[in-house]
Amino acid sequence: MKLRDKKKARELLQKLTGIHTISSIMNLLKVNRDKAIYYVHRLRKQGYVKTRKNAEGKRVYYISLENKLKGRSYIDVINENSPINLYSSVDFKIYGKSPSLEDTLIYSLKSKDFRIILASLALFKRITKWKELYALAKKNSLKRQICALYELSRKFMKVRKMHKLFLRNSLPNKDDKFVYIIKGLKSIHFKDIEKKWKIYIPFSISDLEAYKK
Amino acid sequence: MISILEQQTLFLNISRQLKREIIAFAIGGTAMMFYNLKDSTKDIDLVFVSNEDRKEFIAAAKKAGWTNFNAEVIYGERKNIPIMLKLIEERLDLFLHEVIDFTFSKEMQKRAAIIRQFEKNLIIKVADYHDIILMKCATDRIKDIDDARAIIANKEINWQIILKEAKNQLSLGNEKALMELGRFLEKLQVLVKNVSDKILDELWELFLKQIEEKRKRLKNKR
Repeated sequence: MKLRDKKKARELLQKLTGIHTISSIMNLLKVNRDKAIYYVHRLRKQGYVKTRKNAEGKRVYYISLENKLKGRSYIDVINENSPINLYSSVDFKIYGKSPSLEDTLIYSLKSKDFRIILASLALFKRITKWKELYALAKKNSLKRQICALYELSRKFMKVRKMHKLFLRNSLPNKDDKFVYIIKGLKSIHFKDIEKKWKIYIPFSISDLEAYKK
Repeated sequence: MISILEQQTLFLNISRQLKREIIAFAIGGTAMMFYNLKDSTKDIDLVFVSNEDRKEFIAAAKKAGWTNFNAEVIYGERKNIPIMLKLIEERLDLFLHEVIDFTFSKEMQKRAAIIRQFEKNLIIKVADYHDIILMKCATDRIKDIDDARAIIANKEINWQIILKEAKNQLSLGNEKALMELGRFLEKLQVLVKNVSDKILDELWELFLKQIEEKRKRLKNKR
């Protein structure tokens, strides 16, 4: 099959759309290894292939027409910055701009997903635009949650110093009630942080092992 | 025809003119491109659930160079036709909540799991492929049947979702929905084998029930 022929390339893309390894392509197209590698190479040249490595170090190919658009997801940003790797079932991509670290942190909190929030703690190592984060947190009523997670991450890794005003303006009032980050989950270890911010931390010490390495 | 790359550029241009964040649902060819079922589309079909969002989108599109286009040229005098805009060859069909005889229901909105954000302010949620079939049935333009055929040929269809949504449409007061869907699926069955007789039988039963209930209601009125 000559892939320079547009129609044939399109058919091949249709057949291979999805997640593949070289062996799955060999099985699907009933071709030998060299041919399978050649097909991936041609599709990559046209911008349809993204490659990642799995836990065993094997190459996994994500083949899609949409890869050509070069969109980025919040999960991509977290994966670039965190020792915890995520694979999200939520299909959310952004075009025309790269999601900022601040946006990504807010997204992770709004997702209410245990692993996404856990992995996104690493973002505190890189965040510098505290003013922007404060505005986003205020808009989404997440000021206390962010401060609580910031103090939690300080216990396990070296993070950038949060702006004093952020911390001061986010302290809970007397009337504020305790709030869950993830409904029903509270920590048995970080009572001091929970009490200070009136926020239930969903993690225990063992959850944060990945950050100790 | 608009390719996926051109579509991205068009969305980005409009997004840059938007003053606030708005959400729209992609149906039709636009949605099919996100499912890798098509590599180009004739028009961009979007459904808005808020009139304010549609107004804002239209204002932004006009700033980006789009102009009004008479929707009756394409849709005739059917109800719930979209506001249409044109650039050069490109066309935007902008529906508000209703797509001809169908409502873009809350269940359809929940099923739209693929989300694409264009720069800061434009969020496009892609309709589930089951709902794309239903919307294709609603718009029923020349190429819609081919698109529905492509979806059925390439995706695993859970006909119960379609049947459930048809019932839902009925409960939302869309009396023609069942009939239109039945007619559309019958046309499709001639072209593809995957449309089961069972689903058509169930639709037919529902349709008969609908007629019976309407007859009773009319009798009581008299």
